[in-house]
Amino acid sequence: MDMLTQIIFNSLIAGAIYALVALGFNLIYGATKFFNFAHGSIAIAGGYATFYFNKILGVDVYLSVLLGILCAGFLGYISNKLVFSPLRKKKSSHMIFMVASLGILIVIQAVISLIFTSEFQTLSSSLASSKKYIFLTGIITKTQLILFLSVLLIMGLLVLVLKKTMLGKTISAISDSEEIARNIGINSNRVISYVFVIGSAIAGVAGIFVGFDTGISPTMGMSLLLKGVIASIIGGVGNVYGGVLAAFMLGLIENFGVWNFSGEWKDAISFAVLILFLLFRPQGMFGKK
Amino acid sequence: MEYFIHIGIVFFIYAILAVSLNLVVGYTGLLSLAHAAFFGIGAYATAILLTKYNINFFVSAGVGMGLAGMASLFIGIVLSKFKDDYYALASLGFNVIVCSFFINLDSITGGVIGIPGIKKPSFFGLEIHSNFAYLILALVFFVIIFLVSRFIVQSSFGRALRAIRDDENALAVFGYKVLNFKLVIFVISAMMAAIAGSLFASYITYIDPSIFTITESVFILTIIILGGLSSLRGSLLGALFLILLPEYLRILGLPNDTAAQVRQIIYGLALIFLMLYRPKGLVGEYEMK
Repeated sequence: MDMLTQIIFNSLIAGAIYALVALGFNLIYGATKFFNFAHGSIAIAGGYATFYFNKILGVDVYLSVLLGILCAGFLGYISNKLVFSPLRKKKSSHMIFMVASLGILIVIQAVISLIFTSEFQTLSSSLASSKKYIFLTGIITKTQLILFLSVLLIMGLLVLVLKKTMLGKTISAISDSEEIARNIGINSNRVISYVFVIGSAIAGVAGIFVGFDTGISPTMGMSLLLKGVIASIIGGVGNVYGGVLAAFMLGLIENFGVWNFSGEWKDAISFAVLILFLLFRPQGMFGKK
Repeated sequence: MEYFIHIGIVFFIYAILAVSLNLVVGYTGLLSLAHAAFFGIGAYATAILLTKYNINFFVSAGVGMGLAGMASLFIGIVLSKFKDDYYALASLGFNVIVCSFFINLDSITGGVIGIPGIKKPSFFGLEIHSNFAYLILALVFFVIIFLVSRFIVQSSFGRALRAIRDDENALAVFGYKVLNFKLVIFVISAMMAAIAGSLFASYITYIDPSIFTITESVFILTIIILGGLSSLRGSLLGALFLILLPEYLRILGLPNDTAAQVRQIIYGLALIFLMLYRPKGLVGEYEMK
């Protein structure tokens, strides 16, 4: 087994998870223009919902995954319905949205800890994770392979929805300017509600995969979200492809950095990258000035 | 009685943190989520100097202030390039980076385990043994910091800060060096937080990196938002309320772990409801823009 190949594999897996978070985050940010801190905790909530159905109620694995995704989507829906939509009606500033989303993050995190304790939980044994493939000179588990392929699938589907359907076109109209979109008769409240459901469901997929891959704990939401945010900023906020590419890049930088330094520096490395980007290339890798 | 003294000491420490953060967030309009980092720098300076080098508490507090001052000067210069949500995100990043130093420089900081057995301060050869004496010490520091803050807020410097918050460009047009104003207040605030850290470390006698994470920064922010931005009185009110909250929960007879989570849920909900219905907080004079 070759170290280099293994690091690249690990980076791809981490990148795939970050890409999912970035996809959902970008979608919501595009339509609402605020940093939704609740996004990461909703991802983790999706993972815990799957854990609950599969490990506690004994529901079939694939059905549990589906239910987990639905739960995440539902959380996105109610957070918009109860908090963000009323704030939009009051024309609150972006900072107020952001602080409110911090509040939601704290609440979801604490509720999860109350129900499941703050210990690490893992989903892995329920999806033949013992099966390993040796590919080139590295090892990749079946779970990781499924994860990687589903990210590509979800990304493809999302691009298709955004480019080809009426919903996709209204979403991009709202992202360009909510006011104009409203003026030409788009029901922006309803579309933003869809955006929250879809974006949160995608985040839920990420949380579920973290559960299968390394295991989840209630407070992981914040760091997961930050990786997604960092990826979407590096890729250029609102740029779907850029965000995904940057997520994989972030995975590489982190894993190579960890190889050189130590595991505990991981978060510091990604933030250093973010701050450097914000300073010298705020429009992201692919953005135009 | 001991119990009320304990509450009193914790209250003074958090009142110092809240008042100093309000200078930056409330009066100058910079949403910083890095306050716990400076709190931590002060705490570590005192912990290390007291346990390893047997240096006087007041000297160690001075060293902590100096280190926090230097760190905040650097961080403040970088942050001055950002606005609003990007400012908040980048400041949060710095908190993570500073925390990584606490974790990774384990030869001096003790890594994840932290530093146990921190001594109580001694004063001209007299060691402060009783908690009551410690209460007086904390009170003295608090009063000094409160008076300094009030002086700053009421001075022409403080008026300039509020003007920066309300319309930075206008002030720049009048020839004010806006950057210098922002840096000075950021550094002062960080040094005050470091004092709170020194008091905290030698009172609790045990510190580890998990105390100074972004969750703590969000907690201090919650205190000042609840009390009201741009109001020193409000910060005291907010600190009193949120410090007493876990005590109420104890009276209700909840087990410790549950109480900790319920407390989180309450302060998360408080943030959400404040943003929805009273973004100015209890007695605040300024609403986030």
